[in-house]
Amino acid sequence: MGDTDAFSKVESELRRGAVVLATLSQLRTPRYGYELRQALADRGMPIEEGTLYPLLRRLESQGLLKSEWRIEDGPPRRYYALNADGKKLLKKLAESWQDMNGTMTRLLKED
Amino acid sequence: MNAQEMIETYVNEVATELPRGQRDDVAFELRALLNEELQARAEGAGREPDAAMAKELLVAFGRPTEVAARYRPTLTIIDPADGHAFLRATLIGLGVIWGAGLLSHFSSAPFESIEQFLGALGQFWVRTLVASMWWPGVLVVGFATASWIRRSSPRAADWTPRDGVRTTGDRVGLAFAIIGMAFGAFVLWDPRWVLDAIFGGLFGIKAAPIAYTALTYTEGFLSGAGPWLYAAVLLNVPFYGAVLINGRWTPMLHRAALAHGAVTCMLMAWAVLDGPILKTEAADSMAKALLVLVGAMSLMFLVLEVRREVRPKPDLGAATGG
Repeated sequence: MGDTDAFSKVESELRRGAVVLATLSQLRTPRYGYELRQALADRGMPIEEGTLYPLLRRLESQGLLKSEWRIEDGPPRRYYALNADGKKLLKKLAESWQDMNGTMTRLLKED
Repeated sequence: MNAQEMIETYVNEVATELPRGQRDDVAFELRALLNEELQARAEGAGREPDAAMAKELLVAFGRPTEVAARYRPTLTIIDPADGHAFLRATLIGLGVIWGAGLLSHFSSAPFESIEQFLGALGQFWVRTLVASMWWPGVLVVGFATASWIRRSSPRAADWTPRDGVRTTGDRVGLAFAIIGMAFGAFVLWDPRWVLDAIFGGLFGIKAAPIAYTALTYTEGFLSGAGPWLYAAVLLNVPFYGAVLINGRWTPMLHRAALAHGAVTCMLMAWAVLDGPILKTEAADSMAKALLVLVGAMSLMFLVLEVRREVRPKPDLGAATGG
């Protein structure tokens, strides 16, 4: 396995969990799929559309998001936002992420 | 096909893979999102959206079946942790079945004509290769059930420590097993005794003479593999007796059991290949089929036992440091 293959494989594993947290973090206010993808990309977290759009439905079926169809300026769009359980989970995950981030920073500095 | 038709076709393919209740709503949302993505790409490229652009977008989005799968919770039939065990059991089982099939259909080789060979090949194909697919099916059901039980009751799948090499379980059960082995050895000494016990004991009549002939060992068997195989079978009684007294399998008993099992398998193979065992053809075929079955199962058990043996030691040659 070349360095590039190893990097992309491990990096994609690292990203997998981060994608969920990043998505939840941007749904404190209601957003529809394309708008959410743009918001994430603008903040340095591009997520493939084929990953993000199904993820929204999965998070909704897990009881973390609420959604509704809205007709504003343009075609009907389905807006997603955190529900009460989603907000609680985001808080816990964010704390866990901060702890892990601090630990990893220390570990990587030691080298 | 233009860009819009391409998106419609794609969305339709994704949606048909989804549950009926979710299908229409997801399709409507997905079509709107894909249109928006395509529009953004077209604006970025400074031209109108076209079929090539749509195709590029949809290929990057993923195969419809994969995309549909992402919309639903992951469905695991066989736990990833069981993947290797499943593959191993499948290959070993198919190997045993195909090996037995080869022996059965090609035992009359060399063939007298090409037609005879093709006939045997056809029989092997239909009766062995095609029919053997029951084995992977059984394994899928077994592993899927185990996986479902583990997910339903995670505590039931908790690791539990084992005593020594291997616990023997219930001593009473082991004692009954030894009695069964001793009884089996007694019956094998002269199988005609069974006829006397059943007919003479219950009805006061003798069985038909042909029945006695059917259960009579041939001279060839008695002067060849017979006594050796009988001794190996009989040896099980003191063997398991030692386990019963000891209360568990010690490493020495375990190694001895493996050696004894290997020798017994060889003796069974000798008995099967060394001419008739019983005097009538039907009884002989039945006895050999049983021996092949028992031998194959014993061999499989032995291979699994040997493969499970662990002797911790560093593999200095495999170290990659330096």
